[in-house]
Amino acid sequence: MIRFEKVTKTYPGHPHPALDNVSVDVEKGEFVFLVGSSGSGKSTFLRLVLREYRPTTGRVYVAGKEINRLAGWKVPRLRRDIGTVFQDFRLLPNKTVTENVAFALQVIGKSRKEIKDVVPETLELVGLSGKGDRMPDELSGGEQQRVAVARAFVNRPMILIADEPTGNLDPTTSVGIMKLLDRINRTGTTVVMATHDAGIVDQMRKRVIELDNGHVVRDQAQGVYGHQN
Amino acid sequence: MQLRYVYSELGQGLRRNLTMHLAVILTLVVSLTLVGIGLLFQQQATRAAEHFGNQLQITVYLCRLNDSNPVCPNPVTEAQKAEIEAVVEDNPEVASYRFESGEVALEKAKELYGEELFSGDNPALTAEDMPQTIWITLEDPEQYEGISSAVQGLDGVSRVRDLREQVGPILTTITKMRTYALGTAALLVLAALLLVANTIRLAAFARRKEIGIMRLVGASTLYIALPFLLEALVTALISVALAIGALAAFLRFAIGDLQQNLRFVPWIGWDEFWLAAGAVAILGPVLTLLPTLVLTRKYLKV
Repeated sequence: MIRFEKVTKTYPGHPHPALDNVSVDVEKGEFVFLVGSSGSGKSTFLRLVLREYRPTTGRVYVAGKEINRLAGWKVPRLRRDIGTVFQDFRLLPNKTVTENVAFALQVIGKSRKEIKDVVPETLELVGLSGKGDRMPDELSGGEQQRVAVARAFVNRPMILIADEPTGNLDPTTSVGIMKLLDRINRTGTTVVMATHDAGIVDQMRKRVIELDNGHVVRDQAQGVYGHQN
Repeated sequence: MQLRYVYSELGQGLRRNLTMHLAVILTLVVSLTLVGIGLLFQQQATRAAEHFGNQLQITVYLCRLNDSNPVCPNPVTEAQKAEIEAVVEDNPEVASYRFESGEVALEKAKELYGEELFSGDNPALTAEDMPQTIWITLEDPEQYEGISSAVQGLDGVSRVRDLREQVGPILTTITKMRTYALGTAALLVLAALLLVANTIRLAAFARRKEIGIMRLVGASTLYIALPFLLEALVTALISVALAIGALAAFLRFAIGDLQQNLRFVPWIGWDEFWLAAGAVAILGPVLTLLPTLVLTRKYLKV
C-alpha cells in the first residue's frame, strides 16, 4: 500500500537530508506506528505519502501509484484515497460537526444524497451521533478529534494518516481515539500514525518503525516505543 | 460537480473583502474608461484623416459646373483629366494618388451636415455642384511645391488645397489626447493588476483553513480556485458595465458638444462606441482573470 524504495529527501538550504535512504513497505490493512524524536523525519515521511513533496532520490509508491511520476493534476485523486488527521484537529470553526464532515465530500463533488447518507453513518462510527449540530468549540478536545477522524474517514480512504493525533489529548481521551483508529483499521484501512506517545505504542503492540536523523533504526512487528534489548 | 460551496464562498468572499473589491472596481472603471476613450480618439483620428486626408496629402480641386473660380469657364473634361493625371503620375514628389468623384464628395458632405439638406425636390447641393478631386499622397510632406505648381496652371484645375495647415493641429490634438488617455490607462491598469493580486492574497489568507482542508481531502485545483475566479469575474463585469456607461456618457456629452461646435470635422458615433465598448468588455475580464489564474496557481498549489 505504501512503499519507500531508497528514499532520500533533502530540503533546499539544508545540508542534511530529512530522510536518508529509507526503504519501507507497508502492506494493505496494516497498522503502523512511526516513532522518533522531533526532526527525525516522521513528518517528511507522511508528507511524501501525501505527495506534498517529491523525494529527492528513490521512489515512493502509494496506493499503487508511483508518486514521483504522478502529474500534478492527478494529486487530488491520490489524496481522495488518503485520509489525514492532525494533532490540532483543523476543523472549520464556523461550521457544525455535520457540515465539517460533509465539507470533505462536497468539495470533491459528491452528490447531496450521498452526503446525506454517509455523514450520519460516519458520525455514528466515531461515536458522535446526536452531536451533528454542535459547533466545534462546543465539543471537548477528544470529540473534536473524533470529528476530524470522521472527516478523514468519511470518503472511506484506503489509507489513514494520523500525525500525532493524541498529542493534544489527555491519556484517557487518547485511548478512545486509539480504539477508534483501531476500529477503522479493522475495516481494512491501512493506518500510519506518527506519535511520541510511548504508552499508546506499548499498549497497542502494532508494528513500529523508528526514525532517527532520517534513518530507519528499527522496524519491528508488535513493537514498543523504546528500544527492546 | 456540486457548486453549492462555490456559490456560498463567492458571496462570502465578495462581502469579506468588500473594500478591496471596491478599490479594484474603481481603478478598473477609470482605467477601462480611459482605454475606451483612447480607442475612441484613435478612431476619431482615423476618421478625420479619411475625411481630410492625412498630413501627407494635398487635394487638387478640378473645375466644376458654374465654378466661381475665373480659371474655370467650363467643367473639367475627360481629356483635361487625362492630362492632369499624366502630370501627377510623372511627378517624383507623388507617392500615390486617387480620383474622388462629385458623388463621393456629396456623401462626405451629407455625413457632416445631415441627409435632409441634400434630399427632396430642391436640395441645397447635388453631386454636380461638388467638385471632382484628386487626392495626392506625397513622398515627403515637406516637398510639395513642385507638384503644387505643376498642377496649378493646368486647364481644368480650379485650385490646389493644402489642408495640412488647418487639419494638422486637429489631428495632432486628437492623437495627443489618445496618447494621454492610453498612457494614463496603462498606469491605472498596472495599479488594477496590483490591487487584484493583493485582493487574492488577502482572500487566500482568509480562506487558508478551508483551502488546506480542500487540498488534503483531494479537491481539484479548479474547484479550489473557482471562488477566486468567480470573484474576479464579478468585479470585472461590474467594472466593464460602469466603464461602458462612462464611455456612452463621454460620447453623448463630450463628443456631442464638439459635434455642435465643430461641425466641419466628422465626429465618431455609436458604431465606434460599440467597438470601443467591445474592447473594454474583453479587456476587463482579462485584467482580473489573468492575475487570478496566475496567483491561484501560486497560492493554492496542491
